[in-house]
Amino acid sequence: MTDQIVEKVAVQTDESRNQSRRAFLKGSAAVAGGVMFTQAATAAEGAGYDAKKAVAPYAGKEEITNVLQDQAARKSLGFGVRKYPYGMPSPYEKEVQRRTLEWLTPDSMASITMTPLQQLHGIITPNGLHFERFHGGVPTINPDEHRLVIHGLVERPLIFTMDDLKRFPSVSRIHFVECPANGAMEWKGVQLNSVQWTHGMMSCVEYTGVRLSDLLKEAGIKPEGKWIIPEGADASGMSRSIPLDLAMDDCFVAYAQNGEALRREQGYPIRLVVPGCEANMWVKYLRRIMVHDVPMQHREETSKYTELMPDGTAQRFSWYMEANSVITYPSPDFKMQGPGKYYVRGLAWSGRGKVAHVDVSFDGGKNWKEAHFTSPVLDKAWTRFEVEWDWDGSEAFLMSRVTDETGYVQPPMPQMRNLEGTNNVYHRTAMVTWRVHAWENGKSGGMIENVQY
Amino acid sequence: MFNTKKSLVVASVAALFSGSVFAMSGSSDSNTASGEKIDGKYAANYAEIIKKADGKYLDKEVIEAILGKDAAYGRNGLEGKLDPANPYSFEVDDSIDGGNHGNAQCKIPAAFTEVHESVAKNFYNDDYTARGFGTPIAESALEKWNITVDGDGKGLPKAGVGMTVEEGGKVYVQFCGMCHGEFGEGAKGYLALAVEEDLVTSDFTDPAPMKAVGNYWPYAVTLFDYIRRTMPFWTPNAPYIGDAGYLGMTGYILQSNYIPINDEGEELAEDTFFDSAMLMKMNKYMPNQGNFFCDHRPVIHNARCMTNCDKTQVGDGTGNIENYRQARKLPDGTPQYNVPQRLHEDKPGVGHAGM
Repeated sequence: MTDQIVEKVAVQTDESRNQSRRAFLKGSAAVAGGVMFTQAATAAEGAGYDAKKAVAPYAGKEEITNVLQDQAARKSLGFGVRKYPYGMPSPYEKEVQRRTLEWLTPDSMASITMTPLQQLHGIITPNGLHFERFHGGVPTINPDEHRLVIHGLVERPLIFTMDDLKRFPSVSRIHFVECPANGAMEWKGVQLNSVQWTHGMMSCVEYTGVRLSDLLKEAGIKPEGKWIIPEGADASGMSRSIPLDLAMDDCFVAYAQNGEALRREQGYPIRLVVPGCEANMWVKYLRRIMVHDVPMQHREETSKYTELMPDGTAQRFSWYMEANSVITYPSPDFKMQGPGKYYVRGLAWSGRGKVAHVDVSFDGGKNWKEAHFTSPVLDKAWTRFEVEWDWDGSEAFLMSRVTDETGYVQPPMPQMRNLEGTNNVYHRTAMVTWRVHAWENGKSGGMIENVQY
Repeated sequence: MFNTKKSLVVASVAALFSGSVFAMSGSSDSNTASGEKIDGKYAANYAEIIKKADGKYLDKEVIEAILGKDAAYGRNGLEGKLDPANPYSFEVDDSIDGGNHGNAQCKIPAAFTEVHESVAKNFYNDDYTARGFGTPIAESALEKWNITVDGDGKGLPKAGVGMTVEEGGKVYVQFCGMCHGEFGEGAKGYLALAVEEDLVTSDFTDPAPMKAVGNYWPYAVTLFDYIRRTMPFWTPNAPYIGDAGYLGMTGYILQSNYIPINDEGEELAEDTFFDSAMLMKMNKYMPNQGNFFCDHRPVIHNARCMTNCDKTQVGDGTGNIENYRQARKLPDGTPQYNVPQRLHEDKPGVGHAGM
C-alpha cells in the first residue's frame, strides 16, 4: 500500500520511483522503528481500491512529499566498490541489533543475547544477528590448529583436521536453533515487551557440514556404544550426552552457516547441529566426540537443562523443542496505524518436524483464523505465516497457535502453567498474547502490549 | 496438592539415614514387606534390605521389598496416580534406573523418534564404506584431552589422589570464594552452591527455589567433572590446582551441603581425606537423586478448535479474556522496556532495559 501511494504521488519512471522510495524510507521513522504502515489505509479504502482516492488524502501533506525535492541520493555520486570489502547493513538499520538484558547474568562471558525477531523477514537469520549464548566466552580458534577426535567405544579412534572434514560429502539444511530457556522470563508472568525478549533466544540459518553418522561410521561404533558425548574446545568445555540413535539420525557437524564459515559466536570453526533439539546440545568449537555406554550425567544435563516441577521433581533429558509460534507483526515494538487492514505475520516452528497449521486469534482464543504460509515449509525450521485482519479499532487480543505434523497443538499459557508451575525455567512454549489497545484510547491508543493470562 | 511425592521421597531418604535404631528390630525375612512397618509403610528392616542389595535403594525390587508390592504409597504408589490432573506427577516406563546409584538412562521419547523416520532415510545409509579420511590415533594419545568422568565414576583420578576436606576448603576459598561465597552461599550474582531450599512450590507465586548441589544435583561425581572442566572461571582446568586440589574443593562443597558419607548419616570431617573413593561412596547419598524423571512429553493433547472454543482454552482458562496480567517494573527496578518509543513519543530505538 505504501509503495503504491508513493508511486502515485511522485513518480513517472522506474528510476525515479526507486530513488524516491529510498528517500521516503530514509526520511521517515519507518526503517529504524520498523513501522511499516503509514496512516494511509482505512478499512473503507481497502474494500474497493481506487488509486485516486488512495492518493487524495496525501496531496499537499509535506511530511510525505517534501522529500521529493531533496533528491540527495539522486544529485550526487554514492560510494564506489570495495569501500566495504565485507558489506554491512545501511546505517539506518543500526538499531537492528541483538541485545541482552544486563540483569540476567552476572557477566558477559556466560551470558546471552537475543535476536530481534520483530525486525526479521522471511525465515533466515543474518549471521550478524544470530543469537549468542556463551558459557565461557568466545574463543578465537585457528582452524589450522583445530582438530576433531572421535574415540571411546569405537573400532578406530580418529583425529580429523578441518581439511579432512571438508573432504566428506556435505549436507546443507535450514534449521532453527533454540535455547530451551527461550521465553523463560515469562514463566511467572509477563515482564518484557518485545518479541526480541520473549522469543529471541533463537535463530534459523542454513548450515552446511558433514553428517555425524558418516564420521561415526568412519570410526566404527562398537556394539556397546550407546551414547555420544560431544565436547567443546572453549573455556566451558561444554559437554552433553546424546543417545546414539539421535546422533545417527539427522545430526551433522557444521562448518558453515548461511553460505560462509560459522561465526566465532556460533562455534567457529565447527559445531554440532542437532535439529529440533535444545541448542545447548549443539556443542560449539567441537573438538572431541566420545562414544560411551552410559550417559555422563554432566552438569548441563542434571543441574541445568532439567525442568523443575511444582512437586519438586524434575524432568531430565528433555531434548526436543516443542512446537511454538509468535506474531512478529504487529507486536509490542510496533504501534497500530489506525483502523483498517493489516497483514498479521509471524513465525512458527517445531522440533518434531514440519509445521502443519498456524491459526491466529484476535479475541483471546475464542475464535481462530487459519494463516497461510509465505515461506517454504521445512523440517525443524522456521515457517513464516501471514493472515489478513480488518481491525475495527477496538481492543483486541492477538494470539498465534501452531499445530505441527504430529498433531500437537500449542497450548495456552494457563494450561501449561497449571501443569508445570512457574519455576521450570526451560521449555516455556505456550502461546503469548499481544493486547492491542483500542484506537480511541488517549495517548496509548493503538499501542501493543504483551499480556499474560 | 503438589508436595506429596516430594515429601514421601524425602521421608524415605531421611529414614535411610536415621541410623540403626530401627534396623535391628526388623523381621528376619529381609525380602518381604510383611513384617513390622514404620508408620505402617516402610519395612522396619529397610536398612538390612538395602545393605543386602548392595545399596541399590532405587532398584524396583528393593523398593518393593521395603514398601510392599501393592503399596499405594512411596515410589511404587506414585507410578500409579498421584494427581491425575498433573501428568508430570508420576513416573514413566521409559526410565531405566540401574547401577548402584541409579544412573538413569532415558530413551529418546517415542513421540520424537516417530517423526524422525523420514529424515532417517537420508542419514542411515547401511551400505556405508569407510572413506579412510582422518588419521587413526591411539586412545593413550588422548589422555591430555580426555577429562570426562561419567555418572558411574569412570574417568576419575585413582584413589589416593586428594587432600583433606580442610585443605580443600583453603583451595576453595582461594579460587572460588570470591564468586560463590566462602560457604557456598553465592556472591555477586554468581550461583550459590549450598543452600537449603525446598524445591516444592505449593503456590505459583512462591519465589523460584534456588537449585544448589545438596538440594538439587542428582550425582556428586558430576561436581568433580564440572569443576575440573570449567573452573576457576577465568582459567579452567588449572594445572596448579591439579586433580588433588579439584578433589579437595569437591569435598569441601559436599561437606558444605551436608551430604552424608554412609547409611548412618555421618558427614565429612575436616580431617577426612577426600579422594575419588570417598566421592563415589557419597555419590549414592545425594538427597535429590530419586526426584528426576525422563522426558515423556507431550503431556498436552489439545484439539485444534476454530470457533467458539471451550472456555478452558480461552483467555485466563475460564473464558475471561479481560483477566490478564501486565508487565510492571523490570527485576532491576528500571521501568518497562521502550514505553515512550512504543508510544511514538520518542524516536524508535534502544530501550533502556536493553544493551
